[in-house]
Parts: sequence; C-alpha cells; structure tokens
Amino acid sequence: MRRGNSLVYLTLLVSLVLSVFPLYWLFVVATRSNDVIGQMPPPLVPGGNLAENVRRLFGAEQANFALGLINSMIASIAVTVSVVFFSSLAGFAFAKLRFRGRNALLLTVLATMMVPVQMGIVPLYMVMVKLGWQNQLQAVIVPFLVSAFGVFLMRQYAERAVPDELIEAARLDGCSTFGLFVRVVSPALRPGAAVLGLFTFMSTWNEFLWPLAILEADNPTVQFSLSQLATQYYTDYTLMFSGTLIATVPLLVVFILFGRQIVSGIMDGAVRS
Amino acid sequence: MHGSPYLFIAPFFVLFALFGFFPLLYTAWVSLRSWDLTGDAGFVGLANYSRLLSDPDFWNAMLNTVGLFVLSTVPQLFFALVIAGLLNRPIRALMLFRLGVLAPIVTSVAAVAIVFGQLYSRDAGLVNGVLGLFDVGPIDWQASKGSSWIAVASMVNWRWTGYNALIYLAAIQAIPKDLYEAAQLDGAGAIKQFRAITVPLIRPALIFTVVMSTIGGMQLFTEPLLFGQGDISGGSLRQFQTVAMYMFEQSFQNFDYGYGSAIAWMIFLLTVVAGIANALIARRLRGGTQ
Amino acid sequence: MRLGKALAVTVATALLAVGCGGNATDDAAGGTVTLTVKTFGQFGYDDLVTQYEASHPGIKVKQENIAKLADYTPKLQQWLTAGSGAGDVVALEEGILVKLMGKPDQFVNLLDQGAGDLKGNFLEWKWNQALTPDGKKLVGLGTDIGAQGMCYRTDLFAKAGLPTDRAKVGELWPTWDGYLATGKRFAAAGAGVSFFDTAGPVYQNILMQQGDQTYFDRENKLIVDTNPGVRTAWDQTIKMIDAGLSGKIQMWSPAWNAGFKQGSFATIPCPAWMLGVIKDQAGPENAGKWDVARVPGEGAVRGGSFLAVPAQSKHPKEAAELAKFLTNPAGQTAAFKAKNNFPSSPQAIDDPAVSSAVNTYFNNAPVGKIFGQSAKSLQPVYLGPDNQVVGDGIGDALTAVEQGKLKPDEAWTKAISDAKRAVEK
Repeated sequence: MRRGNSLVYLTLLVSLVLSVFPLYWLFVVATRSNDVIGQMPPPLVPGGNLAENVRRLFGAEQANFALGLINSMIASIAVTVSVVFFSSLAGFAFAKLRFRGRNALLLTVLATMMVPVQMGIVPLYMVMVKLGWQNQLQAVIVPFLVSAFGVFLMRQYAERAVPDELIEAARLDGCSTFGLFVRVVSPALRPGAAVLGLFTFMSTWNEFLWPLAILEADNPTVQFSLSQLATQYYTDYTLMFSGTLIATVPLLVVFILFGRQIVSGIMDGAVRS
Repeated sequence: MHGSPYLFIAPFFVLFALFGFFPLLYTAWVSLRSWDLTGDAGFVGLANYSRLLSDPDFWNAMLNTVGLFVLSTVPQLFFALVIAGLLNRPIRALMLFRLGVLAPIVTSVAAVAIVFGQLYSRDAGLVNGVLGLFDVGPIDWQASKGSSWIAVASMVNWRWTGYNALIYLAAIQAIPKDLYEAAQLDGAGAIKQFRAITVPLIRPALIFTVVMSTIGGMQLFTEPLLFGQGDISGGSLRQFQTVAMYMFEQSFQNFDYGYGSAIAWMIFLLTVVAGIANALIARRLRGGTQ
Repeated sequence: MRLGKALAVTVATALLAVGCGGNATDDAAGGTVTLTVKTFGQFGYDDLVTQYEASHPGIKVKQENIAKLADYTPKLQQWLTAGSGAGDVVALEEGILVKLMGKPDQFVNLLDQGAGDLKGNFLEWKWNQALTPDGKKLVGLGTDIGAQGMCYRTDLFAKAGLPTDRAKVGELWPTWDGYLATGKRFAAAGAGVSFFDTAGPVYQNILMQQGDQTYFDRENKLIVDTNPGVRTAWDQTIKMIDAGLSGKIQMWSPAWNAGFKQGSFATIPCPAWMLGVIKDQAGPENAGKWDVARVPGEGAVRGGSFLAVPAQSKHPKEAAELAKFLTNPAGQTAAFKAKNNFPSSPQAIDDPAVSSAVNTYFNNAPVGKIFGQSAKSLQPVYLGPDNQVVGDGIGDALTAVEQGKLKPDEAWTKAISDAKRAVEK
C-alpha cells in the first residue's frame, strides 16, 4: 500500500490547524491577563498567568466550580454508561431481530428526536417539581438515561457490523438472544459503542439549558458553574477561559481513551465473511 | 429461552414515556390555549397556528432556517466524507489527525463565540482583513442575510464536520478489505475505489448523517445566537433568526407561552417533513448496492 | 463480565445521586423559617442578610443568585408558569416587572403587608412603576436605578478643542440639541473616532424625558405612532446618526469592550453600574482619561430593579418584612457601598455615603451628586406591559438605519407596524 502523498497530508494538516486553533487560543487566553481579548491580531503565545487564574477560579464562590466538576463527572459517566448499554440493546434489536411493529416503533424513536429541546423545559420542570427533584443531581441524569440518537446510531452500526451468518451460527449453538447479545454482538459493536460513548459523554458534559433550569448555583454542573463566573456586565475572560480549559480536560481524557477503542476495534475484528 | 425483542427496546420507551412524552403532549396542549404572562386565558383552538401562518416573522425565520441548513449541511457532509476517506489511509500520526479533527466538538461555546466574533468583526476582523487585500470592501457580516448565513454556516460546519467524518470512518472500517483488494487487482485507482465501493457501502451512514444534520439544522439555535452576541432576534431585521430562536423569543422573552408552543410544534412538523424528504433523497443517491 | 459491571456502575451511580436527595423545604424542625431570596447580577445583600439573621433569630435567609439576567429570566418564567420555585423574595428587573404588572395577583400585594407607609422612602416615579393603575396593589419595592451620567474621554475632547472640565462639558449640552451640536464640532475637528458608541441608548434617554407616557397610554392603548414625544426622540436620534456621530458598535460585543481602551468613541451615556465596566475594560493606563458629566436634558434613568414576594411563597409575611428591610434607605445605602447600585430612595441618595461618593478612576468625579441629580429630576413615566417588545422593535429599526439597511422613514414605518402586530396578536 502506498503511503499517503503530500496532498493528503496537506489537507489533513490544514483541517487539523483549523479545528484545533480555537482550543489552542482558549489555552493561550487562560494563561494570560485580561487585556488580550480585544487585541487584533490575537495573541498566539501563552503567558505565565495560568496558576494565578486557576487560583482565582477555584476561589470564586459564586461559581462553585469544584462541585460543578464533580457533579458533571457523576452525571456524564452515569448517562454515558446507561445510554451505551440500552442503545446497544435496542439498536441490536431493531437491526437484527424480527418482531411485529418494528418499523413503526423505529419511526417513533426517530420522531422523538425531532422535538425541539427548549420546549421541553417547562413541562419537564413540572415533572421534577412533582418528583421533588428541584436542585437535585438526579434531575439531570434520569431523563437522559436513554437516547433516541443512541438507538439510531447503534442500529445503523449493528446493521453493518454484525453479520447475519454469525447470529445464525450462534443460535444453532443454542444461544439465547441475550447470550447472543453479550457474546457475539457486543464485541462487534464496540467501535460504534465507542463513538456513541464519546458523544454522549460530551453532550452531557456540555449541557447547559436544562441544568440551568433545574439546578441552583449551589449545586451546579460545570457549564452552569462557568456561566456564573460572568457578572451581569463584565466578563472576566481569563477567568472564564481558565475554567473552560479545566472543564475541557476531562473531555480530552475521554477523547483519548475512547479514541484508542476505535482503533483497537479495527484490529480486533474487521468483519470477515 | 429466547429473550423477547420487546424487552430489549422497552427501557427506551419506558423512560421516554415518562420524560419525553409528557412534555410533548403538554406542549401540544398549551399550544391550543392563549397563555402568556398574564396567565392561562383558556382554550382557543387553532388560533395560535393561524396566527403563525400569517406571521411574516415566522416565515422569515423559516426562510433563514432552510437557507442556513443548505449552506451548513451540503459542504459539511461533503468535506466529512473526504476527510474520512483520508483518515482511513495508512498515514503517519494517524491518531493525532483523527482526534484533532474532533477538537471543535470539545471546544467550549464561549471560546467559539469570541473567535468567530473576531473573525467576522466589521472593523477589525480577520476575514474583512483578508478580503481587503483583494479590494473587497469591509462587509458588515451581521447586516445582510447572505453574509450572516455564510458566517453562521461556517461556524456550524467548523463544529460538526469532524463529528460526521468520524461516523463515516466507523462505517468505512466495517467494509471488508477484500473488496478493495479485488478492485485494486482490477486496476481501479483510489478515487474510483472510493466512489464505487466506499460510498455505496456506507449508505446507511450517509442516510443517518443526512437525517441527523436535518434534525440539527431545523433546530439550529446556538450558533446564530452566538454570532449575534446573544441577540435572540437574530439581527436588526431578523436576518439570521432561526425558527428555534423565534420560538425561544416568544416563549421566554415575550412570555407568550401558548404561541411559543405552537411554534415548537411547527418546528417538529417541519423537522419530520424535512427529515423524511432528505432521507428519501439520500436513499436515491448512489442507489447501487453490491 | 463487562456488561454486568457497566450495569452495576449505572445503578450505583444513580442510587448515589438519588440518595443525596431530600427535598429542600423551607422549614426545619423547631420553627426556623428559611426564606429564599432569588436575585440576578449583584445586589450586594450579603452583609445585609447577615445583619437580618442576627436581629431575627427565627429566620434564616438563603440567597440563590444567577449571574446573568438573560439566564435568570427564563427561570423566572418557568417558576411562575409551574407555580413552584420562585422562592420567597424575588428580584424583578424593571422591563420584566412592567410585563408582570399585567397579572399582579402572581405576587403578594405589599400594601396588605404594611408597605403603604413606606411610600416616602422611594422616588415617586419608582414607587408608581410597581403600583397598579388603580393604586390598590403594590407588586414590588424598588431597589436600584440606572441613573445616568454622560461619560466622556477628556483626552479626545482636548484634541478636538472642546473643554475637558466636567462642569464646562455639562454646559455644552443642557439639551440634546446641544449634544448634537457638540458632536458635530467633534466630528469636524477630525479626531477620526465616533462621538458615541451606538444610537440605542441615546434614543432611550431622550425618550424618557418626553413626558409622562411613551408607547402606551394609561389604558394600555398603543400610542407609539401618535405620541409626539416618541417621534421627537426618534427624529433627534436620526439627526445624530445622519451627522455620522454613531460608532455603530453593538453593545457588549468584543469590539465594544475593546472600544473603551482603544478610544473608539468619545462619549457614552453611562448608568452608575457602567462605571465599573469602563474601569475594567479601559484598564489602569487610562485612569483619569474618562470623566463623567451630567446627561443632556432633565433627568435620565435607564432600568433598575425591584423586590417582590411571589404568591407561591409559604411565608408571605416574613418575606415581606425581609423585602422591606432590604429596600429601606439604610439597606439601599449599604447596597450602594457594596456594589455601586444607585439607590431609588431619596433618603439614601442624600445619605453622605452616597451623595459624596467620588470615583477615583474618573478624575474623582462626584458621581453621587451627578447621578442623584439625574435620578431626582426624572418625571414619572408610564410604561405599559408591552413596553419592552415595542422598545426592542424601535432599537432594531435604529440599528438597521445605522447599518444602512433601511432609510429612516422606512425604518420608522417598519417599527410602527411591528409594534402594532406585536400588540394586536
């Protein structure tokens, strides 16, 4: 196989730079003092203020940043594990099992994704009031334990990645459907599950509107916490960006962890006929 | 012995019934009432909907949403496909590139807002600076539909291209390698292999991303809001106000909850129609199977 | 087995989260009443709250604050709609209060709680804003007001051959015509920067001086097109835009923030709270270059807030007492000292702590006197529930003129028809 030629590298390099630049700039601002925000051209070299900014960040009472990080960790992990598990189950069922009403139910799943998110806030808030879950962490976890997007993604992946012959063979061996799922399907679904896990973690971590609605500043998630760093009129950008930078680190960690899974998934089992 | 398939899908529907269905029904119920900040004034039937149909601001928001959708989906999915293809090759520093193009998803909205705000700033922005080199006058990006659409679409494309590339990549990796080997032996070059093998065989992923992009496009909210520095009316003449922004403005700024709920249901219907239409289109493109 | 572990983790985590539950109720055992105060921005109540708890042993006060008004408003809407969550004392920004006056029974009538005696503690126009037209219900007690001055750059004025002493600058513009004329002089001197940042606030200031009503009359009938005051404010603003005085910079944008340091505009109508913004944005190197003069015309105030007691509160009596305490003259003076929120109480305005306040960054400008003067000379103006919607429409129309998208007459026609459509529904 030929190695990539220079055009390929160039294109990828340009894409990389464009993709990464704002993140890098985030890092630069977090290490500087506040006068650099309006500057044109923007500063490209990191400064030495990071420790100072981080100190101010964790000292900012109104933001409760440390608690925000912890709450978001708990919520994101719980939701990710649950979504990946239940979406794999349902995705596999929709892709490979035959049952009555399958297509209709699948369309229903799809339809649920088409509901605009912002509208659900007031009625969902009412549900939370009934449950007594205002300002409780479970309010940002339980409604999201399953995801229509996840079901759809895993179904699409399962359709391609799990060959019918393998299922037939396992059934002939006397496997129950669940056993089939555990032993045959799950390994094949791993790359798709890695993608879903990545995105679910990220979207839960980045969620802002709903946590703002249901939580208060003394029990925030991380994005809510960051928004509290602003004052009504003046935004201390270095403070905010330091917080954002730290809030991004767990995402980068998950990134790298799951990224490996995708690669190892290829090594494990490119589908063979 | 054979687990019922219904058990596999039950958890999703149970939780959805509790936390998804109720808000949906409630919103529909509210949309049939006259409900603003002075409270619930009672059932008014389809009055909110007929008001909506003759509301020029709503149709303007629709136009913006569709225009933004086209500008932010077509180039995005095309580039995502190209990048996925490139990333599938045995190149050095593979992991770095693969993770790198996903960086936009991880970047916080606050940073994105500032970077793109400065790029498209009327007086001191980079884009106007570059255009100035070609004697193209400074553009007030927020002032016109065309320019604001391009700017917002670029934000959306920047954010989501890597995401879609990853989905295509996962699908490409499920294609049996021997198909490519056979084509290689037949003398097909890289691009021909891409068009004849890769694209048709990832059709489910293509349909998937088209439908997802459509749903996201119809509900576009964050990027245009950031572009306008938090102005929910999307420009002085609503140049880039999407239907989702219009719904938010009516519900949470003007406190006209009944009207906002009607808009939400219109967005829902719009998304369903557009989703189906685009899925059908994607299905017909590259219609070949093996 | 990997799956089993995953399942266990999910369940355990969910249980952990649920286990930390328990509803946050107001009453602990033993008769302590906990009052929840909901605020946005910075009201400066921390010390006051401690003081109140010390003098009221059975009462605990919990503050719940949201930094930005734009994030607070949707929460307020959902608390009122859902009938739960608004706490015991809730902060209402003027624009929202005006809307909520359309349904005053969402709030406890403070007149029933003995607030009628406190009328003299507030500027008349501020008191009237929270009073229903029939005078029978008082929805809120005033906290701060956005009393205005006109901030200007002394160095840019000097370059343009204009006086720099704030008394003399004040004499340049006793009226808005004077402001326009000064602006033209400034532009003619060729300094290369704009006279003011954007037209919206200028228009708003002129409008509030045009009599006792703006877009609505006291029967809440839309009079935006027939009220000559509105047209006057509009025409004057257009004259300024036509003279090229506007920098056309969107407020709060990064370019606007940078403008204070770079000197992109020479003047800006500045409420009391903006002084802090200017100081932070312009930086220490520009200390003394910004100063504050009086605002043109008589009396200028933009915005302000109130405290109200939601009807859903379980302790209306105690909540009303707390609200009264926080908004009494001593409370307002303390809030001014803490966070520079300009009081709406004449006694507080005259309190030496306020009236002799000077701002060192602004050349030791006697801000207490400047803002106090402008607050006191404002005549009461009736706003009407849909004031915000109409005002936003006119603001957008002005921006469209600045951007060159609409001619002034087209913009006026559009603003009027938008207003009519918004109100007629």
